[in-house]
Amino acid sequence: MRRLFGYEERSAALFLAPVMAVLMGVAVFPILYSLYLSFFRIKLTRPNRTPFVWFDNYTDLFTNDLFWVSVARTVTFSVVSVSAIAVIALLVALLLNQDFRGRRILSTILLVPWAIPYVANALMWKWIYDSGYGALNGILYQMDFIDKYMIWLGDQEKTIFLIANAFVWKEVPLATILLLVSLKSIPSDLYQAARVDGASVWQRFVHVTLPAMKPGFMLVMIYETMMAIRHFDLFFILTEGGPGDASHVLSWHIYVETFRNLSFGSGAAMSYVLALVTFALSYTFIRTLGRKV
Amino acid sequence: MSDKTLTQPGGIDYRRRQRLARLAQTLVILAGAIVLTIYVLAPVTWLVSSSFQTEAEIVSVPPHWIPDEPTLQNFEAIFSATEEEEITYETRSGQDPASGGFIPSTAKNLLPAMWNSFLVATLVVILNLLVGVPAAYALAKIRFWGRDASVYFILITRVIPDIALVVPFFLVIKNLGMLDTIGSLVLTYLAVTVPFSVFILVQYFEGLPDELDKAARVDGCSRFQALVRVFLPLSLPSLVAVVLFTFLTSWNEFLLALMFTQTEASQTLPIVLAAFTSDFTISFSFINAAGVLAIVPPVIVAVIFERYIVSGLTAGAVKG
Repeated sequence: MRRLFGYEERSAALFLAPVMAVLMGVAVFPILYSLYLSFFRIKLTRPNRTPFVWFDNYTDLFTNDLFWVSVARTVTFSVVSVSAIAVIALLVALLLNQDFRGRRILSTILLVPWAIPYVANALMWKWIYDSGYGALNGILYQMDFIDKYMIWLGDQEKTIFLIANAFVWKEVPLATILLLVSLKSIPSDLYQAARVDGASVWQRFVHVTLPAMKPGFMLVMIYETMMAIRHFDLFFILTEGGPGDASHVLSWHIYVETFRNLSFGSGAAMSYVLALVTFALSYTFIRTLGRKV
Repeated sequence: MSDKTLTQPGGIDYRRRQRLARLAQTLVILAGAIVLTIYVLAPVTWLVSSSFQTEAEIVSVPPHWIPDEPTLQNFEAIFSATEEEEITYETRSGQDPASGGFIPSTAKNLLPAMWNSFLVATLVVILNLLVGVPAAYALAKIRFWGRDASVYFILITRVIPDIALVVPFFLVIKNLGMLDTIGSLVLTYLAVTVPFSVFILVQYFEGLPDELDKAARVDGCSRFQALVRVFLPLSLPSLVAVVLFTFLTSWNEFLLALMFTQTEASQTLPIVLAAFTSDFTISFSFINAAGVLAIVPPVIVAVIFERYIVSGLTAGAVKG
């Protein structure tokens, strides 16, 4: 018992008390409350009748076609964005890992998309994609790729990719910084040794650089997937889930169900599904990070 | 040895080869740098350029990449928007709604919204430091039973998606009568910022030698005194990183603000901006000016504090 509640434990408890209280209040309690809510049929339009329905909200969910559409859209969006982020960030990280004049300025410039608020980013891309006066139409028209202005975001086939592009632009800086860390941690004697053994630039890249970057890559992939599957802001401002259901992702579905249809029970059930998926994904994330703390 | 002896016919000219390789490398780096700069800056430049255009110019096809006659009218409209300018049906229809030129009545909300954003962000920063610093010190410097469990607990709270918190938050805040208050935002933003702050700080504190702690304790400091007198002054860079991240996260947050705010009493900048984008009567140049206004403060902060941000990002995310 002395070991359990020694001086160290008591002072640590004192120091940790505020953070634990805050996290209990703003994270643990809400997520448990959400689970509780998901067993009720709660319509704000009918505040006095909130019957307990067991798992009905969940079974309704899994038999709802629009839910599965939203899952499919979320998967498309996440796969496209995360692979694009990984490739672009790798190229940028390799570039910034070189020693050249202006490297510092370049890495400062790279922080610009990271700092921009998502809403402003959405506003900017909405204007770029604008069907009447946007830059995308303008530049393609001037370069003769198109002979008339296109309604980019109104095209069911292209919408999700255009939104993904806006997401990628904003997320590349963070991914790059994370990848640069693992690039910088490669000891230079590894390259020397490879060079002595007669490895070409490409061979050194494939056999030394890439394996050493694996942990960094894992981290970027998991982190960006977590960000992508929960992303909301761009969908809200660029398309509101449209046209049709072309960009009706899960987070948008939750928003519509909860705040437009005012069914909080099923909204809670859906957010719970999303939270569980994120947890499953982030298990590796937590393991990777937890080990290093 | 002269060059000639090296360039025997049929032999390999190593020096020439090396020079070519170096040249190729320089060219690749140069090309990469140019492509990257354009990729990052072109969209922003376009936004800034169109915020300086008049309504007549902004609707030209193809677009004017550089404004012919740059104007500050859009920014003036934001900064001089006052309560008196009532937008009535008549004054509104006096302008051609198709081509815009319309400054919305909500323009006057922009500056109060910036103030709200600033206030919320500042409060969130202060609370983060108050709860984060002691926690990080305990996790980094005290060897106690339950340390690993605490670390995992904080990590888990970090990966809860914000959208999963929205529904319970909304009902709780509604029941507390805190809808449309700044307090609701401060409270809920703690959920998205505190875990990250703690990890930035833990990372930094762990880098400081344990001997400092021991020395302070031998000199008669309590744990608390050791933290305040010895560690805090040394951990300034990580404190700066925490302030920056927390501030920017709060400044940029949209989803929770969208749910909890209704009027200018608590609406933050992203909310007012988002409202502009869905109003088709507002002139494009005005929306763009508002967008530029939202971009400028965080970008300036990021550029000035680049070093702290990069180290903070890597500490908070990579080494966790």
